[in-house]
Amino acid sequence: MKSIKKLIIAISIATGALVTSCQKLDMPPKNIFTSDVIFNSQAGIQSFLATIYQNLPIEDFKYNPSTNDGAASPAGFLHGGNDWMEFFNEASTTGEEVGPYGGMDIASGFGFWPYGDIRNVNIMIAELPKHTAALTPAGVDALLGEAHFLRAYYYFGLAKRYGGVPIITTVQDPGAPLATLQVHRDKEQAVWDFIGAELDLGYKMMPATSDAGRANKYVAAALKSRAMLYAACVAKYGSVNFVDGQAVTSGFAGIPASAATGYFQAAYDAAKLLDGVYSLYTANPDKVQNYVDLFLKPSPENIFIKQYSTANNTAHSWDDTMSPRYFTANALTRSYPTLDLVQLWGNLQITNPDGTPKRFDNYAQLMQGLEPRLLATIYFPGATLRGLTFDVQRGIYPSFNGTAADEVAKPANSRTYILGSDDNAQLYQGYQIVGHTGIWSKGSDEVTRTGFYVRKYIDYTKAKESVNLNTSTTPWIDLRYAEVLLNRAEAAVELGNSADALTSINLIRDRAGAGLYGSIDLTKVRNERRMELAFENQYFWDLKRWRTGDVVLDKAHFKGLMPYFVLNENKYIFLAEPELFNREYTFQKQFYYEPIPGGEIANNPNLLPNNPGL
Amino acid sequence: MKKLISKILMGVAMLASSACTKTDNYPGPNASFQGNIISSVGGNLPTSGGSTQIWMQQIGWTAPQTIPSKFDGTFEDTKLFSGGYKVLPTGGAFWPIYDTVTVNLGQGTKHDFTVTPYLVIKNFTATLSGTTLTLTYDIDAPVVAGLPTIKDTQPYVNTTQLVGTGASIRDFSDANAVTINKDFIDMTASDKSMTLTVPNLIPGRTFFVRVGVRLNDSYNSSNFSNIIQIDVPK
Repeated sequence: MKSIKKLIIAISIATGALVTSCQKLDMPPKNIFTSDVIFNSQAGIQSFLATIYQNLPIEDFKYNPSTNDGAASPAGFLHGGNDWMEFFNEASTTGEEVGPYGGMDIASGFGFWPYGDIRNVNIMIAELPKHTAALTPAGVDALLGEAHFLRAYYYFGLAKRYGGVPIITTVQDPGAPLATLQVHRDKEQAVWDFIGAELDLGYKMMPATSDAGRANKYVAAALKSRAMLYAACVAKYGSVNFVDGQAVTSGFAGIPASAATGYFQAAYDAAKLLDGVYSLYTANPDKVQNYVDLFLKPSPENIFIKQYSTANNTAHSWDDTMSPRYFTANALTRSYPTLDLVQLWGNLQITNPDGTPKRFDNYAQLMQGLEPRLLATIYFPGATLRGLTFDVQRGIYPSFNGTAADEVAKPANSRTYILGSDDNAQLYQGYQIVGHTGIWSKGSDEVTRTGFYVRKYIDYTKAKESVNLNTSTTPWIDLRYAEVLLNRAEAAVELGNSADALTSINLIRDRAGAGLYGSIDLTKVRNERRMELAFENQYFWDLKRWRTGDVVLDKAHFKGLMPYFVLNENKYIFLAEPELFNREYTFQKQFYYEPIPGGEIANNPNLLPNNPGL
Repeated sequence: MKKLISKILMGVAMLASSACTKTDNYPGPNASFQGNIISSVGGNLPTSGGSTQIWMQQIGWTAPQTIPSKFDGTFEDTKLFSGGYKVLPTGGAFWPIYDTVTVNLGQGTKHDFTVTPYLVIKNFTATLSGTTLTLTYDIDAPVVAGLPTIKDTQPYVNTTQLVGTGASIRDFSDANAVTINKDFIDMTASDKSMTLTVPNLIPGRTFFVRVGVRLNDSYNSSNFSNIIQIDVPK
């Protein structure tokens, strides 16, 4: 007890001594970064920019467009250390692949609303001009150009989802009256015009080169070609195919058709700025290997990339979750390319003229004569990876008579094939029924349901043991020159300049190892785009801007390529059959615009009217 | 130690008993809204799942809600908050209505909406020959000018009376769709008299059957016929 009293006295004396030391506090706070700390040095600015770049709406490996069907939550643009489910991708709702989604599960969005990031960019634009002394006027200009590019990128992410959104270019004061903070939607056309103008500033002010992962003037031009093409199509096709409603009549969703030509021209002009600055990757004379390497090696085709690192805990899992367990250290796959996508390259020669299935000596024989780009994009049955073969086989026919069409039309229980369960050790008369890489009799969430696997971006140089979750660091190529050529060709065809479009398309086809075209039309340009940019998170948006989603995905079902062994002939056949889950995909017209998130409308009722049909 | 525990427990008990004394004095969702969606050519508008609904927004609130129509063109929701609502039928194969009606919802509120269907399906007959069902019907449009393009027509076959889009057997229904892609105004009299066949029905089963004609409007919506019961003999 005595000691406590002593302690109390000691504390009172100490406190008393401290209280007397009152001085005026006029030193800058040590625990807050003031704008001088950030904006007076390149290092400070880089750390500020890092967050803005990290949050850019780049639809990369980890982009997860829905929370449905057990996908990660929160959905959207993920950049954590364990965003490993790369098979929850856009491609598996559009028929490029079939995957874990039960249908068109991504159309209503995930509440993308990046005004916090836009505020950061606005702070940068407001602050930079005050720091010319430290950064030099030229340095400030370059950074301002970069900021305008970044702001355009965020607004592009908004405009393609919602149409018209509020354009905020100032740093709003949270203490301002509510009425000034509850900003109304701008018209869709105004938002696209704003994006175009911002990218023009970016092009004008930024230097011609930049560190990998950062923008330069040509990145701005490339993005402009993509964005203006989107706007042009909204004007041209959205004015014909739309869902009636107040958002349309008010101009928040939709652009007058008369604006289309101007946007197509802007897309074309922007794409042309990259002429001679970037080029298609052609380092390897082997066209298959060249196309594979294009996604794995540094190349003059890469305009804007997103990088990953295991040290920073941002690595992705593309290698581990797009190839089956047979080729990797663990994990599984869940999304698979469809036969419908493969047939964009033309029908596979799997049937004889009399309708009977063509007999093959081995599965790999099917790949003979196919376009190198196709083989580099998709792993066919019989292809190899890390010294192992895609031994995809659905089952065994003791004997096979008749035509492929008749066989496929039969009810499953009257077909004479032998199917295997998930056990790939199962034998029929000494022959393995199902391969290590599938196909299980009722389909599965571990191995292919279509006979195919994705090859694009798969790093074949990794050893099997090292292909693990969250260990892939292959950069995502957000903008590559092939896309710019495709943007240019599409705009050119829409503007009636076929000659220019033909040149661009033939550049791409030449590199792809495809036959060159003698003439060009819109269908050819669009199909070339689908083939070249497969699995690159472009086609979903193409379906939206072309306003063909509700036609192409109208109770759509997709097909796979089922390989079988015919025992009595010792030959192999392929049958085109529905993918094994036979899921249905329907894109409704109201999906051309996502609904403005309900929480944002609750904060700001001036965002009403919401988009059509909602 | 025991003293400490008992003191903590007493504190917890005091906190627990003093909490939650306020009672929720707001009324529950005790209002209801029901009625019919009446076709301007007579009777209720035949509808199906995922199409016609009553859009409603409570005055003073921003989030709209919807009541889906039943297949016979009626609707009902018995768990609504009372108050003023702006309401509107939407999403079905009828000429769009833009002007909302304001209703004051209380217990047992009734309201009927009248809509003009895009198309009317008349003279719907079903003839069974063996296991093949032949469906014939005529289509007519109350208003022709500005009618959306007619996309296709198809039977809907199900084993229950709930039959329509999203409630049908695909092999008998979607698989037997016929593409049209014509404007009504360009269709001849024989174009407007349609026939669909549904082969390979299963002997000894009872099916419920209707037909739909789909238009290229904002919702790709369909006009439907009435529902017929078909008993396939063994």
